[in-house]
Amino acid sequence: MSASIYSPAEERKEIWVYLEQDDGALLQITLELLSKGREMADATGWRLVGLLLGDNVAHLADLAFAHGADAVQAGEHALLKFFTIEAYAQAAFQALIEGKPSVFLLGATPNGRDLAARLAVRLRTGLNADCTELHLESPEGLLISEVSGFGGGVLALIGMPHHRPQMATVRPGVFQVNGGTTGKQGELVNIPVVLDERLMRTRILERNIAGSVDISQTPVLVAAGRGVGADLTDLWQLAAQLGGDLGATRPLVDMGLVERDRQVGQTGVVCSPKLALCCGISGAFHFIVGIEKAGTVIAINTDPQSAIFDSADYCIVEDARSIIPELNKALAGAGEVEHE
Amino acid sequence: MSEPRIVVCMKVVPKPEEIRVNPQTHLLERANVHTEINPPDMNAIEMALKLQNEYGGSVEILSMGPPSFEHDLRVGLMMGADHIYLLSDRAFGGADTLATTYTLSQGIRKLGPVDVIILGEESSDGATGQVPQGLAEWLDLPQLTLLTDLSLDMEARCARGRRSIKGGYELLEVPLPCVVSVKTACNEPRFMDYRLKQRAAVADLMTIWDAQDLNTDAECTGLKGSPTTVTGLTAAQLRERKQIHITGTREEIAAKLAELIRQLL
Amino acid sequence: MIMDDALPLDDALWQRLLELTEGDAALCFQCGECTAACPWGLVREGGLPVRTLLRKAQLGIDQIESELWLCTTCGQCQVTCPRGVDIPGVFRALRQVAWEQHHVEKGLPSMLWSMYWNNNPWSQPPSQRSAWSEGLELEPFDPQKHEILLYIGCTSSYDRRARKIAHALVSVLKKAGVAFGYLGNEEPCCGEAALSTGQQMYFEEVAANTSGIFLNKGVNRLVTISPHCYDVFKNHYPSLNPDFEPLHYTQYLAELVDQGRLVFEKPLNRKLTFQDPCYLGRLHGEYEAPRRILAAIPGLDLLEMKDSREQGLCCGGGGGRMWLETPAEERFAELRVQQAAETGATHLLTACPFCLAYLEDSATSIPGSTLTVLDIAEVAAEAIRGEHE
Repeated sequence: MSASIYSPAEERKEIWVYLEQDDGALLQITLELLSKGREMADATGWRLVGLLLGDNVAHLADLAFAHGADAVQAGEHALLKFFTIEAYAQAAFQALIEGKPSVFLLGATPNGRDLAARLAVRLRTGLNADCTELHLESPEGLLISEVSGFGGGVLALIGMPHHRPQMATVRPGVFQVNGGTTGKQGELVNIPVVLDERLMRTRILERNIAGSVDISQTPVLVAAGRGVGADLTDLWQLAAQLGGDLGATRPLVDMGLVERDRQVGQTGVVCSPKLALCCGISGAFHFIVGIEKAGTVIAINTDPQSAIFDSADYCIVEDARSIIPELNKALAGAGEVEHE
Repeated sequence: MSEPRIVVCMKVVPKPEEIRVNPQTHLLERANVHTEINPPDMNAIEMALKLQNEYGGSVEILSMGPPSFEHDLRVGLMMGADHIYLLSDRAFGGADTLATTYTLSQGIRKLGPVDVIILGEESSDGATGQVPQGLAEWLDLPQLTLLTDLSLDMEARCARGRRSIKGGYELLEVPLPCVVSVKTACNEPRFMDYRLKQRAAVADLMTIWDAQDLNTDAECTGLKGSPTTVTGLTAAQLRERKQIHITGTREEIAAKLAELIRQLL
Repeated sequence: MIMDDALPLDDALWQRLLELTEGDAALCFQCGECTAACPWGLVREGGLPVRTLLRKAQLGIDQIESELWLCTTCGQCQVTCPRGVDIPGVFRALRQVAWEQHHVEKGLPSMLWSMYWNNNPWSQPPSQRSAWSEGLELEPFDPQKHEILLYIGCTSSYDRRARKIAHALVSVLKKAGVAFGYLGNEEPCCGEAALSTGQQMYFEEVAANTSGIFLNKGVNRLVTISPHCYDVFKNHYPSLNPDFEPLHYTQYLAELVDQGRLVFEKPLNRKLTFQDPCYLGRLHGEYEAPRRILAAIPGLDLLEMKDSREQGLCCGGGGGRMWLETPAEERFAELRVQQAAETGATHLLTACPFCLAYLEDSATSIPGSTLTVLDIAEVAAEAIRGEHE
């Protein structure tokens, strides 16, 4: 077996968390990872360290301390202003071979996954992707990750006993963010970042992310199917009232009623909301894939034989077009709905 | 101006819904399971063939697996690809992504100079989504991931891709050669051209390379080259939904729903 | 006057189309009866320019319009054509050429991939093909034991609504004491969706494979639920077995009625009308078998719709349209359902899973509609149900 760049014998008993930031703010997943990291650090007595890369981002360390980081290693450089794989991978690599943590966690975001995947090879170590659970075993300090495969049908527990760092990416929304303690102090370490402009091969020609539709993260999904007809006003209202967002099945997208980014399903967006309300949807298999991970599913359909009811916790055999306006009234009547 | 040499890395996978975990042995039961080409790799080959339609050049398929992959991989030839390279050796078996990307990179090296290497963003079995980036790292190549669109500029020797993230996009440019991963379902893969059926069956169009051909380091391939090990395997508990019916007049149903929602959120 | 942008003619393409249509494309003398007969004229401004497409085929013009994919292969044009041109056949040939030029409707490649990877055009898992029969304890087909092979087909296996046809038919066959077998998950797809969308060569591969399976299993008499499966087995499959006899289930049930094996005692008092599926009626001339079954059920009052039998209005589902979206205002089924209501019938019956899907969809989308859409098998099952069932 070939060895990782640094071995278990050389490791520091530290849990490092990649503090992914964008546009001057830490991502939600970053706080989730810090929370889980804090939990694991408390259980093992290890240090929790955040790795923060960017340009003029050191101030974000305070939020990391508040959510449990003992220290933050901040690497700042003009070339880190926007994420490019070359700059970020090089900066992270430098920090990792210097710091030699036992564990390195990243969010399974598009950039997080890219970074993790390249670093794992650069470091000649393993990487557990898209983990749904993490466990750091004492006293060996072995990280066991739970991952799912085969479309979610199989759960595997994976470890890497002989390689370091033990890397894992974690799905957003898997871990809860801890309360956080404002004003909590930590150690801010400014680390040197050496980047050669000539090695930066990615040119960003355009970025268009602000104001875009991303229903994958919505806590409440109101999903519209052919059964609701062409007027989605009531459904939009419901989504707004519940602090959620609107999704739809393919026919509605094809009819131009909603953007393609709102298509829920196997070939669309897979969502994991706390609540999914399926209105006028028959429940074809490829749609169900998009809401399988929902906490609770409520389905409204006129056809009692609809497949959707097999995948619903609460079933209403009615025309959604009649129920939703009534529901909007009932919800408005008792004041706003608040989230935990 | 030269025409691009495009390589598509494809994987043959078992149909996910047919895989079972044996409750006694905790091993995967793969016997009698239907196989298919990893669906995102179908999007990858479609993207490659579209590039070929536009810029000319060649499309070659690279895969790692047992000889039984051949039957499914020939589908790629019927879609229009020119050749299949199958990396096959007992030593490659049991590989995690580090060993897999290493082996694939040796395959690419053996192919000689290529311009674009295209892969699906992840596979339907392991779903790590790490292979394209890992491959790029072994080869020290730039990468464009999660693309819905790709264009080439053979004169300027660069690739431009539309990367899909957070519901929006980035337009990125990297020099050639590069590694590209495509977003699942970003295109509709063309169906096979049955006029190519006889051609696709020709033995010459498939080459099998083993560990010796690739000059791989035995410590870096297969199970030996895999840092990660599976310590436990179980069938995921299929989510049983409650299927509770809510009945009554429309107003009653709405009221019950409102109450239920308030409790849930 | 010389037009620079005149459409180019391609003799090689014309030759090709001549071959693909076995000379039929040459017969058309451009009278235009086809365009007039085509039901698309009822729902669309300008209808479907059948005559123009035939002309383009004759001239070898390779400008394939997207209207090519509107054709449901209902055959209304063919029966009207004074020269008996197999117009649906010409459309299939044009579609074949369209595939070669990559000019196809979105969704069709995915449908074919599904046939290839999953043995069904519905993107459903092959391992779930027989799930519809859970609890029915159907016997695996044995040529020594069974009179017929019951061929369910992809749609009735996977589609939730169409599965009820399968359940109903099974109960009718059991009641009649028929010894029948089923191939379960091994049941191969008939390939009709590939044929009607112009994938002639792929269809031939499917047909060769499926007929090979039937041969190995010793299948002679085969009963289908869908007239589309029936049509390909009867008209488009290689004849490997001289004793191979495909039947549509209405033909088989009519036979059972004639033999006295299937007797309906319980009266069902209702007014109903019947949609002749294009692939059973117009394409095979089978109008009587479904009606004989209905006549054998006491209490049924069969009313005929305005356009019935040879003039039957297509539901809109054939020709690959089941996998393409048709806007509500362009659906023939909307007109058909109105015709059904006009007869005063409470029930609209059919004998095809595609007709069932389209007609039921249209019936339920018309506000205030009380028309119930059912398959003949479902009515037959209702009629034979005793108190203990």
